[in-house]
Amino acid sequence: MVISGKKINWKKFLSALAVTAGLNTLIAIFLTYLGHGKGFFINFIFSQSIGLSICAWVLAGHAFFPALSPLSTLLVTGITMCVGTIAGSFLGSRLAGITLSAFLQGEPIPLAQLVVLGLLFGSIITYFFFSREKMARADALVQEERIKRLSIEKESLETRLRLLQAQVEPHFLFNSLSNILSLLDTDVGNGKEMLTDLIRYLRASLSRTREKTTTLGQEMELVRAYMNIYKVRMGDRLRYRVEMPNHLQDRPFPPMLIQPLVENAIKHGLEPKIEGGEIAVLVQDEKDLLRLAVCDTGVGLDEKSVAGIGLANIRERIQTLFDGQGRFILEENSPSGLKAILEVPNERNQGPPRG
Amino acid sequence: MKEIKALLADDEEQLRKYLKAKLAEVWPDLVICGEARNGRDALDLIAKHHPEIAFLDIRMPGLTGMEVARKIAGACRVVFITAYDEYAVEAFEKGAVDYLLKPVSRERLEKTVKRLQEQIAAQSKPPSEISEKIERLLAGLADRKGMAYLRWIRVQHKDGVRLIPVEEVYYFQAKDKYTTVVTKGSEELIRKTIKEIAGELDPDQFWQIHRGTIVNARCIAQVGRSLTGRGVVRLKDRSETLTVSHRYMHVFKQM
Repeated sequence: MVISGKKINWKKFLSALAVTAGLNTLIAIFLTYLGHGKGFFINFIFSQSIGLSICAWVLAGHAFFPALSPLSTLLVTGITMCVGTIAGSFLGSRLAGITLSAFLQGEPIPLAQLVVLGLLFGSIITYFFFSREKMARADALVQEERIKRLSIEKESLETRLRLLQAQVEPHFLFNSLSNILSLLDTDVGNGKEMLTDLIRYLRASLSRTREKTTTLGQEMELVRAYMNIYKVRMGDRLRYRVEMPNHLQDRPFPPMLIQPLVENAIKHGLEPKIEGGEIAVLVQDEKDLLRLAVCDTGVGLDEKSVAGIGLANIRERIQTLFDGQGRFILEENSPSGLKAILEVPNERNQGPPRG
Repeated sequence: MKEIKALLADDEEQLRKYLKAKLAEVWPDLVICGEARNGRDALDLIAKHHPEIAFLDIRMPGLTGMEVARKIAGACRVVFITAYDEYAVEAFEKGAVDYLLKPVSRERLEKTVKRLQEQIAAQSKPPSEISEKIERLLAGLADRKGMAYLRWIRVQHKDGVRLIPVEEVYYFQAKDKYTTVVTKGSEELIRKTIKEIAGELDPDQFWQIHRGTIVNARCIAQVGRSLTGRGVVRLKDRSETLTVSHRYMHVFKQM
């Protein structure tokens, strides 16, 4: 930013001078062609002196007096152009070793004419650089707009993915409600407990869609409520455990990343298996990363299993949420089932201090 | 009058209990001859007890309720039970197969029971076209699942077998008898020939461009020609280029 910038950008300053020098040469050739002055050499010296002087004065003027309004810009340009013309003319006459009037071939009011010529010339230069500047600024604006749009797109993508993830599956909801209905006839205590878990799960699912972060502790509570519901439904076909170091309770974490993995493990791993199995949710605090694993002993994935929509969703979210710093790995569990592993940067400083 | 037997099949114990209790209220004379907690048990119990009616949950481990119905092929009357399955319910409404939605309401169950009692009293045989209907339903459901293409690549890793979704694969490259699987940031060797893989992949998504190369169409950034006139594929996010052999140039000429 040569013009209107507070700091002088020397590279641009020099490139402006170089362009001007080229223009000056053309003017000198043109003047010589018209038969004006005392040959190309003298014309060259004069046009370079005047042109470069105008350019330097205009640029310097704008560098030291930032453009506050169109009027002040015009004023600065006009004054610096006049000064530049006069200074350049005298410089030219000194360098060429001839008087100004000799160069101007005895015109009556040489200085006034020179100033007019200078103004014209200066206006062209100023216009040229201003439009270049304007174009650069427009480019920067477009770039800025694009970045803004991309970040908005990223944001809306994340929102959309989160909403998708947080959708309560109707099959799950109606089956759970049927179970509660039945328990209210046979085992009221258990029915109430299951209803409490369902409420906890629904509240979390519905409010999480509006939140951007929650804590690992809250996420685990949601996961436990979810697995409790399935425990009632599946009976001895489901066993589960959650292992997480206590100090991670308040660690901020994006919502709806772990629960869908558990949902996936039950739906595609354990429910289709006649004898059922176990789910282990393990959280490990490693040096630079946080590792969360949901391991099941279910039927596993066939190479052609379509069980991928929810998982692809998680993969995409991990990418956007952690800017490519997070990983989602799917492994086969032995002797059967799957291990879904999330590895995300360990941002321990972000957590609130533990008392 | 001869006693009427029914079988209940649902993988969730509470739901079997609930249906049993509701049936006892609505149809006290009905004998529940067996309760199955998966599709296979249901099939065995039907073969053993020859019930007149089978209440079958659709989503069950082992065999689904519909698969059970198809296997017994009209041996007894079937009432499907489902918590929620918009497609299936829509299909049932078109066909004359009876179904119940969970949680089963008393009014709805009474209707079903009345219909069953009438049919059995009229000594009408279970409609033979029912298996056809189920066949059609299953075919419709299977259609939605689409063709069975390869969706996961099993890769041997130091801590076990890792599963990579095919969408993440940029390209497959033959390497002797094995194949290199290249993703955005990794290269893995798998024990499958490129020919085997070519046969398993969705041809719309993965294009063979060389005897030894299959590329993911979504990962192509640009297709150009080298100085010698060969096709060259440039990839997104990866620096290497892939060569298209003359034999496979037609893949791009259609575009």
